[in-house]
Amino acid sequence: MTEQEKYLVRNNMQNVVTSVNINATFSEALQKMVDGRTNGLVVVDDENYVKGILSSIDLISYLVPDYLEEDKHLAAFEVAEEFTTRIKEIENEPITKFMTKDVHTIKEDRTLMEAATILSEFKIRQIPVVNEEEKLVGYINRTDIKKAIAHVLGIH
Amino acid sequence: MGISFWITLIVFVVTYAIIISEKVHRTVIAMAGAGLMVLLGIVTQVKAIEGIDFNTLGLLIGMMIIVGIAKHSGMFQYVAIWATKVGKGNPTKIYILLLSIIAVFSALLDNVTTVLLMVPVTFVVAHNLKVNPKPFLIGAILLSNIGGTATLIGDPPNILIGSASGLTFNDFIVNLAPISVLISIVTIALLIFIYRKQLVAAPESAAIIAKFNPKDAISDVKLLKKSLFVLAIVLVGFFTHGTTHLEGATIALGGAALMLLLTMHDPEEHLKEVEWTTIFFFMGLFILVVALEEVGAIRMLAEGLLKLTGGNMIATTMSVLWGSAVFSAIVDNIPFVATMIPLIKDLGAISGLPLAPLWWVLALGADIGGNATLVGASANVVVSGIAGREGHKIGFGEYMKIALPLTFIGLVMCSIYVFFRYLV
Repeated sequence: MTEQEKYLVRNNMQNVVTSVNINATFSEALQKMVDGRTNGLVVVDDENYVKGILSSIDLISYLVPDYLEEDKHLAAFEVAEEFTTRIKEIENEPITKFMTKDVHTIKEDRTLMEAATILSEFKIRQIPVVNEEEKLVGYINRTDIKKAIAHVLGIH
Repeated sequence: MGISFWITLIVFVVTYAIIISEKVHRTVIAMAGAGLMVLLGIVTQVKAIEGIDFNTLGLLIGMMIIVGIAKHSGMFQYVAIWATKVGKGNPTKIYILLLSIIAVFSALLDNVTTVLLMVPVTFVVAHNLKVNPKPFLIGAILLSNIGGTATLIGDPPNILIGSASGLTFNDFIVNLAPISVLISIVTIALLIFIYRKQLVAAPESAAIIAKFNPKDAISDVKLLKKSLFVLAIVLVGFFTHGTTHLEGATIALGGAALMLLLTMHDPEEHLKEVEWTTIFFFMGLFILVVALEEVGAIRMLAEGLLKLTGGNMIATTMSVLWGSAVFSAIVDNIPFVATMIPLIKDLGAISGLPLAPLWWVLALGADIGGNATLVGASANVVVSGIAGREGHKIGFGEYMKIALPLTFIGLVMCSIYVFFRYLV
């Protein structure tokens, strides 16, 4: 591997990516998170094109009803059962209702500097990596960049 | 009748039709229609700007800034939670208290702000009582519109009428508050009767509500004190403007400046929170109406109405009341009232009839009539939107079944009140 190739996204990314189909529901997405021991899922369609990102905070925010969102201090007066009632209400809702649709992706042949720039500019945790056909092939996160920096500095 | 008369009429009717259809945002279409009136030379720009009632706009903007800051203190939620605690877990008592509070708040704030503040509280209270929130939601719509009738600042149509007629804040209270209180009482009583089987609480809810600490609703004590101070000054300003001759915009914008001074918040955020789309909607409407006046169409309408009623005071007053109610039930009451204002002035000028009763029936018809359907007023649309999102969709027919008879009773009460107070 040439020195140049070493710092391409392709050679620093995670090849195993936990994704979820765009037709999944709230509870199916949660199942994926629990199974994959992760707080973030890449949302893809049947052809493996990236359609969004779903993180645990998206699930949590969706759990909070609009009227408490509007008026956070009222949560102190809400009944305890509302937590479970609300979960039962939304368990079959499609994830398209609360996933982040505006998602930044990066091609696998791009440089780590571009990946670092995207992570830093949008303060996101991970970027889905796509191939030439824009299909999902992996993801690159803050830890991957950190490891590459350590590599350059000879820190092990 | 010249060509410009017909062009104006077509632009006006098409603009209003699109506003009613809600196919395009009402602000965009009102601005486009107004722009067309100027571009076509129906009114000059000078005339158009003269037609904009900046007193109404200033009053709206000022109150939006004050309430926009004050609501962050949690003061309005505090009162509602406090009332729930006073109601001691008795759903009927709590229902009466909450709906009364909604009526009082909407007399002082605009109706949409009131329901935006109060609907979340009613959800929480209904959950605690384990009762269906729907009676609370439908009650909130009805009482916000009835309460808003009581004062000059309670509902946009009243602000428009107050500014155009020169009637004072106290005139509104003396003439409209009594009937607003009466209709509130009758409406709440009938709602309790209608929902008597649903307003039954779970036995454990009394204990939970007893533990409520209303202070938990207050998010910022310092802001609360400043807000109360500014609101008190603004209210004193309104109560005394008959003698001080300060205009509504001066009082509201003065209050807004004081609020910004006291809190020293970044004004940018608060000025952004002003509903500019509403303000521009009003501007567009004012210009559209000026164009209609300019070509003589308003005067013709006034003459037509007088011909119909034979210039009889009782017939004219009652047709303005019921006509306003029917129109406001179907369409947004703001464009309707904006058009009616010059028409009422012309009615007075042509017939020599006393104007005051006509202003009161215009306000009553527009405000109370808005209750009849789910699209009759902005508060209705806002509440049904929130209800739908929380899984308590209010159907158009379902709402009308309750609201139409109650609105009709309210209007009959208005008719009797107006007849005995102004027409005999």
